[in-house]
Amino acid sequence: MGTYIIRRLLGLIPLLLGISFVSFLFMQLMPGGPTALLARNSHLTQQQLLAIRHNLGLDQPWYVQYWKWLLALIHGNLGTSYIQYRPVVNVIAERVPNTFQLVVAALALAFVIALIAGILSAVWQYSIFDHTVNAVSFFGLAMPVFWFGLMLQLLFAVQLGWLPPADIGSAGLGDYLRHLALPAFTLAFGTVAGWSRYVRSSMLEVIHQDYIRTARSKGIRKAAVVLRHALKNALIPFVTVVMLDTPLYLTGAVVTETIFDWPGMGRLFFDSLSSRDYPVLMGLLIFGAVIIVLFQVLADITYAFLDPRIRYS
Amino acid sequence: MNLARRTRWPAASLIVVIALLAWGGIGSTGIPASASTPHASTSTLTIGTTEEPDTLNPLTTQLVTAFSVIAGVMEGMIGYNSSDHIIYRLATGYNVSKNGLVYTWHLRHGVSFQDGEPFNAKVVYDNWKAIMNSKFGAYSQQGWDHITKIKMPDKYTVVMYTKQKYAPFAYYVGSTYLSPPKAFQSPKYDQQTFGRAPVGTGPYTFVKWVSGQYIELKRNPHYWGGLAHIPTIIYKIVPNDNTLMVLLKTHNVQMTPYLDALHYSQVKAMPGLRLVTKPSFSWYHIDLKNIGFLRDTKVRLALAYATPIKEIIARILHGLASPDPTDFPPASPYLDPHISIYPYNLAKAAKLLKSDGFKKGPNGTLEKGGKPFTIEYWIPSGEQQESEVQQVVSASWQKLGINVTDHQQDINSIWGPNGYQFNRKMTGGAYSWFNSNDPDDSFYWNSKDIPKTPTSSGGDAVEYYFKYPWQAKIDRLTNQGVATINPAQRKKIYWKVQQLLHQQEPVVFMYSQKNIYATPSNMKGFAPSAYNDLLWNVQDWRF
Repeated sequence: MGTYIIRRLLGLIPLLLGISFVSFLFMQLMPGGPTALLARNSHLTQQQLLAIRHNLGLDQPWYVQYWKWLLALIHGNLGTSYIQYRPVVNVIAERVPNTFQLVVAALALAFVIALIAGILSAVWQYSIFDHTVNAVSFFGLAMPVFWFGLMLQLLFAVQLGWLPPADIGSAGLGDYLRHLALPAFTLAFGTVAGWSRYVRSSMLEVIHQDYIRTARSKGIRKAAVVLRHALKNALIPFVTVVMLDTPLYLTGAVVTETIFDWPGMGRLFFDSLSSRDYPVLMGLLIFGAVIIVLFQVLADITYAFLDPRIRYS
Repeated sequence: MNLARRTRWPAASLIVVIALLAWGGIGSTGIPASASTPHASTSTLTIGTTEEPDTLNPLTTQLVTAFSVIAGVMEGMIGYNSSDHIIYRLATGYNVSKNGLVYTWHLRHGVSFQDGEPFNAKVVYDNWKAIMNSKFGAYSQQGWDHITKIKMPDKYTVVMYTKQKYAPFAYYVGSTYLSPPKAFQSPKYDQQTFGRAPVGTGPYTFVKWVSGQYIELKRNPHYWGGLAHIPTIIYKIVPNDNTLMVLLKTHNVQMTPYLDALHYSQVKAMPGLRLVTKPSFSWYHIDLKNIGFLRDTKVRLALAYATPIKEIIARILHGLASPDPTDFPPASPYLDPHISIYPYNLAKAAKLLKSDGFKKGPNGTLEKGGKPFTIEYWIPSGEQQESEVQQVVSASWQKLGINVTDHQQDINSIWGPNGYQFNRKMTGGAYSWFNSNDPDDSFYWNSKDIPKTPTSSGGDAVEYYFKYPWQAKIDRLTNQGVATINPAQRKKIYWKVQQLLHQQEPVVFMYSQKNIYATPSNMKGFAPSAYNDLLWNVQDWRF
């Protein structure tokens, strides 16, 4: 297993190189550029503009820019933001905890709700509850996040006044949780829909197995059979799905963070893309790629823990 | 590794561990509690905006949102009140020599920067040196570049010698926000250091800037003009208009400047808010590339007659704009009141084009010399209001038989190296430009500002690249304008500039939008105008 992990981590290097190269190339192809707005500045002479482009290294061929960026990266330097004029590492680092908190809350919420809904749907197959969960799941899958978020905001913050509409809050734990509630639920809702269907089908597959029937025929209570015998096995593929979906949460909370003014990485990505802040974009893409690969490795390890039949070499 | 070891809830455990790890940062970057509380008390005012400053270094930013904040922290020698009259801030007065070349500034005594550094003549001198030093990268050297030498006869007197008469001198130099000399001594006087934590002599002291979230200012207890009424100002950065509207409605944000007309009625219905509208220095127009048929005055006049400006103001802008027949918005004291926009008259427009030799071709498109009259009409994407204006204008021009195609592109791309300006097609590009308090508009029209290459500044665009047949006249007038110190004489010159622009219509002049501010209905002392930055009199704001 140790060898496997080391091999997977070493495999990260060419993968990250490839991702960074392609990302850099695409950014060069994007219309406009970081100094496009400056060029319109009425007070900026051509010499000043050229000096700015020179200072940023934008007057060099793209492959030279990429090579310099890569060399700096090897030394742990992701460069300086074109817009905020601060080290990219600092710009990203201050956003990571915010996204992390949102994602953990959304994941926990989605995990618990999907698990309960999925198990009960399987146990009470074709019941009203099952059909209701089914309908809500399709609603969740079909719902655009931006619209759902706005509706929650209007209902709970504007109409009812129960929860703050946006921002991260800072007046203690209670205030923080109140601010977290709407974005976390918005982010979790779409996932709950998919995950609950996954748990349901996985459970259905397991509860029709012979060993479950045997357990029931021994007189063990239905709840105990479901929770102790069926759930454990049904969870194996589900946990893998959770692990693989987690990095997508981390990198993909762009819309939710924008609606709820949550100062995380998703919003930073959106802002950086709009302003063509290439160094920050590159930093975020590399960070996202590392997270995705790490979670894939983590999913493999977890899978091996859950199913002893699995061996990696 | 023993893979047979069983774990009951690995995923759940993992989530708990991650949660615990994440817990360390909770609430560490949220805005101060009092600011996020609905119906904020009189101790904090939260101003919401969708645009984050790039830097708070006044020498290296050009963003309105940045100057909004800077105006609370830093000051110049003079400022302007809401009636466009000079108010003295770090200077108590100034004199101009009879020949108009020597300016003597008398500075305020007993003023200190927020870091304790005293304000005196040496500060002004050091700022001049820094602004002229390319190392500091000041965007604008206007006015300061006319100084040949500075003398300091005493600690509180600065005498500036200039090389030629330059009417906007006092405005540009006097209203420059002055930095403490200590900042220039640091090799890091740049956006990363001073620009993230500015120091000035203003009524508020910079406290904190959390990127993407807020900028916090606290009142300066040593302000020379007296203690401000509101202890804390939070300048909150909101990602989009929808969120800003929700925050306003729930009173998590109490004030917002520069609302667009689309949100006016929405905010008007919100209790606890007051809407203030003021004329602005913006002038919205359609830039016409100075090539092909568009070089012809009759064609440009026809386009002006075919643009339903009043209808646009009434229906799309909800009356929150004024027709603007030239580049002098109604807020300008130099506005010539005798000029008005060309009335909407399609018949007259068609007649003008016919007299210019245009005829309709077989497919109904106007042609001249066998060449069809085709215009690409460009606007920056993402602006609903401008998009509606584009549709109305485009439809109207098409009625004349002009083949108009609508285009939208993000602002970075429009002004980027592959933007439409650099092609040789006939185009119109609609933008708002913003003027300053001084009427000098030579940048737009004077041939010295025609770019030498398509990628240089000064407009960047091909449409500015060719001289107009009336170029000599506008050059002479704009040169006279900056060289005339007497305000009454200057006014006459700029009236002539406006008359010439109105006759020639080099662009389709349209309207000047009003600035719209939402403030708490119980807030007093707020006096915004086109002549100053948002926080210019923040020390007088009170509940």
